[in-house]
Amino acid sequence: MAAAEKIIGSRIKRREDPRLITGEAKYLEDIQLPGLLHAAILRSPHAHAKIKSIDTSKAAKHPGVIAVYTGKDFADVNPMPCAWQAGKVKNNVNTPRVLEIDRVTFTGAGVAVVVAEDRYMAQDALELIHVDYEVLPAVVDAEKATKAGAPQLHENAPNNIALEWTCGTQDTTDRALKEADVVVKQRMINQRLIPTPMETRGCIAQYQAATEEWTVWMTSQAPHVMRLLMTAFVFGVPETKMRVISPQIGGGFGAKIFLYPEYCLMAALSRKIGRPVKWMETRSENYIATTHGRDHITEIEVGAKRDGTITALKVNTYANLGGVLSTIAPGIPTTLYGRMLSGTYRIPNIFCHVYGVYTNTGMVDAYRGAGRPEATYVIERAVDLVAHELGLDPVAVRRKNFIPPEAFPYDPVILNGLKYDSGQYAKALDLALKMLGYENFRKEQAEARKQGRYLGVGFSSYVEICGVAPSAWIGLPGEGWGAGLWESANVRVHLTGKVVVTTGSQSHGQGHETSVAQVVAGELGISVDDVIVQHSDTLGTPFGYGTYGSRSTAVGTVAVYNSLQKIKEKAKLLGAHMLEAAPEDVVFEDGKVFVKGSPDQSKTIQEIAGAAALAYSLPPGMEPFLDNTSYYDPPNCTFPFGTHICVVEVDKETGEVKIKRYIAIDDVGKVINPMIVEGQVHGGIVQGVAQALWEGAVYDDNGQLLTGSLMDYAIPKADFFPTFETDRTETPTPVNPLGVKGAGETGTIASTPAVVNAIVDALAPFGVKHIDMPVTPPKVWRILQGNGG
Amino acid sequence: MELTGSYLFEADQDTVWKLLMDPDAIAKAIPGVKELIPVEGEEMTWRAAAKVGFAALSGHYAGVIQMSEVEAPTQYRLTVNGEGQQSVIGGTALIKLTFNPEKNETLVHWDAHANISGKLASLGQRLIGAGANVMSKQFFHELAKQLPTR
Repeated sequence: MAAAEKIIGSRIKRREDPRLITGEAKYLEDIQLPGLLHAAILRSPHAHAKIKSIDTSKAAKHPGVIAVYTGKDFADVNPMPCAWQAGKVKNNVNTPRVLEIDRVTFTGAGVAVVVAEDRYMAQDALELIHVDYEVLPAVVDAEKATKAGAPQLHENAPNNIALEWTCGTQDTTDRALKEADVVVKQRMINQRLIPTPMETRGCIAQYQAATEEWTVWMTSQAPHVMRLLMTAFVFGVPETKMRVISPQIGGGFGAKIFLYPEYCLMAALSRKIGRPVKWMETRSENYIATTHGRDHITEIEVGAKRDGTITALKVNTYANLGGVLSTIAPGIPTTLYGRMLSGTYRIPNIFCHVYGVYTNTGMVDAYRGAGRPEATYVIERAVDLVAHELGLDPVAVRRKNFIPPEAFPYDPVILNGLKYDSGQYAKALDLALKMLGYENFRKEQAEARKQGRYLGVGFSSYVEICGVAPSAWIGLPGEGWGAGLWESANVRVHLTGKVVVTTGSQSHGQGHETSVAQVVAGELGISVDDVIVQHSDTLGTPFGYGTYGSRSTAVGTVAVYNSLQKIKEKAKLLGAHMLEAAPEDVVFEDGKVFVKGSPDQSKTIQEIAGAAALAYSLPPGMEPFLDNTSYYDPPNCTFPFGTHICVVEVDKETGEVKIKRYIAIDDVGKVINPMIVEGQVHGGIVQGVAQALWEGAVYDDNGQLLTGSLMDYAIPKADFFPTFETDRTETPTPVNPLGVKGAGETGTIASTPAVVNAIVDALAPFGVKHIDMPVTPPKVWRILQGNGG
Repeated sequence: MELTGSYLFEADQDTVWKLLMDPDAIAKAIPGVKELIPVEGEEMTWRAAAKVGFAALSGHYAGVIQMSEVEAPTQYRLTVNGEGQQSVIGGTALIKLTFNPEKNETLVHWDAHANISGKLASLGQRLIGAGANVMSKQFFHELAKQLPTR
């Protein structure tokens, strides 16, 4: 076996970890510039109000204060763009401004800014600004916001409806529901979550008046996109006038994809003042001003035959989008949600209707999984509801409805032309059941019940969509960005044989510097240590769309792979020239070019790279250097799948749910580094389980965030969990030559319904068929006391 | 947010009533307040600035205090509107006095409703109930110290 195939798929330690562990990594907060000023933002204490006047005179006189501005000072700066306008949102888009001018629609909207010599002076001066508000009635519930008499947030959005979107066919679904042997209806809440990356957001902007150019450091998952949106859309200048750098990023989970007003505000301030300006978000600011995730109210109707065959699924969802729209907010509860509602099952009739709704709450946008966790929760709960209604085993109902392996590529009809690439759903389920010991578990459960102990098992046989990229699909007007989402790479083999790769995707914890290097090392037959992966700086990396939607490997690394093939082709031509052999007679193997069958006489990639760089003896017409840039636009998305199983025990006295076992079988296609994949799966499971059991953002009726700090918002700790039992099946995707699908989000997508299904199973003796998240002890305790199911 | 509580003064009702109506005595009793400045043209309305030093509630506040529905010596309404710490606080309390002639004690009972917006709402919500109780006790305790010595 060639060394190439060994390094790809091996469990090497992450190369980025030493600098992270030793504290040498430089985050935004570590950046110091001469003359740096600090900004603090005054945020609205009201969820819905008119700004009548703002008096900044006292604050301006505070020691150390350089300037105080309000929204009126930036009336010439465009509002933030909403780049993903799914549904009919053309006329009712409302987005934030750098500072709001006359109206606020959520608690935390920025209304004034103080720039001072240090951040403490800036914070103190904030207290001296007086804003005269006319407080308006607020609405925080997406369903209530659409009803008659609800407070109206925006003139251009009657009944607060930002978008209305459907997929599937209503008439056939209604007919199938009428003809079904059983129909189960259920209302379910997918509660609002706060992403809570370890590092909050921040930005430093530096403007050079002489060249009219900015350098902006920001906590972004997508620096190239930020540059494009800030320059072309917000400031109306060419994108070449700005360099955007994402330094080391301490996690994002999606919340750092978007163009936030604060980034544009720093750019505007540095241009006005002529000095670099920095803003670093506090945790409490992060909770009110950074995007949240999920927040769906959903009614489902699922129809089935007596044998468990599902014949129809109808879903109606109110998706809360907050007071204004974040960058890609409309795309999450539509394309990435409705189109995945078929799950791993053959469901002939599906209809999904979504209202995206404005409410007086913080903005909601993509959060790890983004739409797919919500879809998976709906379909995986629906399967259990059908099983419960018919008295069937939930495993049997899953098996009955699985899309069989021979049906791939499978068209679930609602995917707008895309097809599931590959899948062996029963294989993953079987492996998970074997690890669980399903039959034994049911015996153990029955025994436990006799003793008054309540065990439950929950299943989630999910499929998700990764590598969100195909331009012809994601670019469709009314559906996606109106732009493609291809990815780029440049590979350069330097004179010494050392390789520099630049990628347009971004790494904020995913380990790209390791996994991409493994692919390079494997393909070129060199050491991982000889590969440097550069990213996150618009200077020196080709344009790329950034990191989200588990796309960096399935799209970005495939671009790297394609460049490597072109480099290898050139190396073969040059190697043949050096060996005085015919190009068609040589092969490239293990980092060497040699005549087929004569590996003893070879030229190494290092020798060839040197010859290419020195360039005094090249074949006629060949350009110097081994250098190639690729732009990869995949023909399809990829569709990872698997089965997660959760075993819980519910404490009858306290209502507490304890996770006893957690089994995860994931099929993410070919794996480049199993350790990185396992890390992603572990983290994802933790976030998904946390939604099921603990997390939830709560606003009061006046639009005040009650869970505004880590004292009130539950984030799990490591000791809340057992050791995860993970394994994989490996079904390569035919979509890309690496066979990789993506692994960044499977954990959050699969785990939430597995936990809730387990709890419902445990509480079956109490007649429970559904319970809304988070399933906290008081909620369970009330059920156990026979009040409130 | 609803807040209720009571405080027992070892004094007769008229003495307690006079104390509760005395802006100087009140100013001395509110933690962090120096004086109550009457608002011109408004009856029984004062402007106050306070420095609070209680956990998440710490900071400078400024506001207006108004008394209304005054029925001497049994009840009155106290309305407070203030801001500080990037927060807006509005509250109203109905305060009732009951005299126990046997023990010569006057019970002051309050039913209050408070609306809090901004930073305090999201950071201090859980502390506000506890904080308000502690501060009310402190207030009445300080007020009681100003009772004429028997």
